[in-house]
Amino acid sequence: MRDVAIVGMGCTKFKARWVDKTYYELAFDAAKMALEDAGVDKDRIDCAVYGIYNDFFQRQYQPDAFVHDYLGLGLKPMVRVNSGGATGGAALRIGYAEVASGLYDICLVLGVEKCADCYNYEVAMATPEVLRAILYTADMTYDNPAGRTAASGFALAVVAHREKYGNPTDEQMAKVSVKNHFNATKNPVAQSPKIITVEDVLNSRMIVEPFRFYDNCLYTEGAAAVILASKKVAHEITDNPVWIGGLGASVDYVMPGNRPNIYTYESSRVAARKAYEMAGITNPLKELDLAELHDAFTGTEIMAYEDCFFCEEGRGGDLIDEGAVMPGGEIPVNLSGGLIGCGHAVGATGIMQTFEIATHLRGQAGERQAPNARRGLVQSIGGTLCTWTVCLVLEN
Amino acid sequence: MDEKEREAWYQFHHRKYGIPSDHLRREFEAELSGQNPVDAPLEVPDKMEILFKYSYGQQSRFFRELRENKAIYGARCNECGKVYCPPRSHCNDCYQPTEWVRLEGTGVIRACTVQHYTTSAFIKKLPFICAYVQLDGTDFLLMTNMEVEDVRKIAVGTRVKAVFREERHGSITDFYFKPIE
Repeated sequence: MRDVAIVGMGCTKFKARWVDKTYYELAFDAAKMALEDAGVDKDRIDCAVYGIYNDFFQRQYQPDAFVHDYLGLGLKPMVRVNSGGATGGAALRIGYAEVASGLYDICLVLGVEKCADCYNYEVAMATPEVLRAILYTADMTYDNPAGRTAASGFALAVVAHREKYGNPTDEQMAKVSVKNHFNATKNPVAQSPKIITVEDVLNSRMIVEPFRFYDNCLYTEGAAAVILASKKVAHEITDNPVWIGGLGASVDYVMPGNRPNIYTYESSRVAARKAYEMAGITNPLKELDLAELHDAFTGTEIMAYEDCFFCEEGRGGDLIDEGAVMPGGEIPVNLSGGLIGCGHAVGATGIMQTFEIATHLRGQAGERQAPNARRGLVQSIGGTLCTWTVCLVLEN
Repeated sequence: MDEKEREAWYQFHHRKYGIPSDHLRREFEAELSGQNPVDAPLEVPDKMEILFKYSYGQQSRFFRELRENKAIYGARCNECGKVYCPPRSHCNDCYQPTEWVRLEGTGVIRACTVQHYTTSAFIKKLPFICAYVQLDGTDFLLMTNMEVEDVRKIAVGTRVKAVFREERHGSITDFYFKPIE
């Protein structure tokens, strides 16, 4: 396999709604930024991978074909990836394989999502209709009629974790929310920069127990793109390549009855282990400088500390209590604000996380720059109780 | 558009999408009465809808038994003896065929949470329980929602039994779970 580098990247602002852009127009903005960042013309792109999650969101089946057309990449090969919340990470994995295999030298990996065109006229809000669109990704025969939401699936795992280990507590989860909203105040693309307190989180209304309003990420519209290149081409294009040093992926049983337990996210453990093996990491807490973990919910971020082996199983809450995951801590987590602070534009999220880590590795993160950042982890997850996980180790 | 044209627009879209006319008026009156600049984003209603006549395939008997006999069946692997509910024609481990076994319809809650917010389709049921139930005699978890008067009475370990609805359609919602008092 050949070494693969990120040589260009772009990310639109993450917003609740981009009423003035369609999904392919958002994709265009991210692609243009990435090409300008790399300093290459679009004609140099050999192939593309598009991460787009929900066809209902886009009001379009096969939206990838229309993105490809709008980007003017006609006659070049492309493929669309859809792996639930892990769509962005999964798209990066396929893009990596395209280049590492030697099939192509330069690959555009682009994620885009435009969810808030779904609209519930009765309550005059997007969210319940967005959730209805997502419900079509639950098993249509057995799970869809139960009316679960993404939040209830992840909540069931957090509840099971609490049953076994007594944490994460409401206070620990609230601290994650405070951290991620705060981190977002330093990130110019973030949707939800906020200075809030633990009390604000605990006093916010209950959504799905134990998640209160501020424990949840919000739905987001946006696009993010990276340009991947082989080692030879990367050195020709840029002086500051960011390397994909490790990659791991795992897909768990989507019907959780097939799993031995639901109090850990096993796909995350497998994917992280694989990524660390490939990158030669044996002590992630010491050897990683920062991480972007998929905090769709605060409790999920705390479980991710364990599933990415930053600590022992059952001890995730300690890392937020002790401050290890805070800015300036041993391993700052979600300096972008994460999904809670920066936003969750599903297909774009894993690529936004990658954009964030790469920005730090390039030393371009400004006010939120992690000091001496040499190596970072991206964890991209999705599906019922974390069905999909893709982990990437990025290095400079 | 003048008022008559706007009214026709609301009626047309009401008929086409089933959106109440007053909701359409609330959302689109400003646009249709010319208050938005010519270059402002233009929003319009839409709906995606497909009709089906689908088959339950090898799971057909499960749903026919629900509808006709108020009975819940599992599928037992001939090789390893694992019992699936939801049923499947072949074990996902041994790849051997399964056989039908009638279940008691009782079980236990393995994980549960309370939903205070949900999708458009379920918003009128709030708050309700979202749980995984393990039916007695099976090795599987079944996702379910439970509407109960006091959500605090439902917890991990609560024993439940299936209750069949009077009107059954041959779907998983032909029964629901109630705590065993």
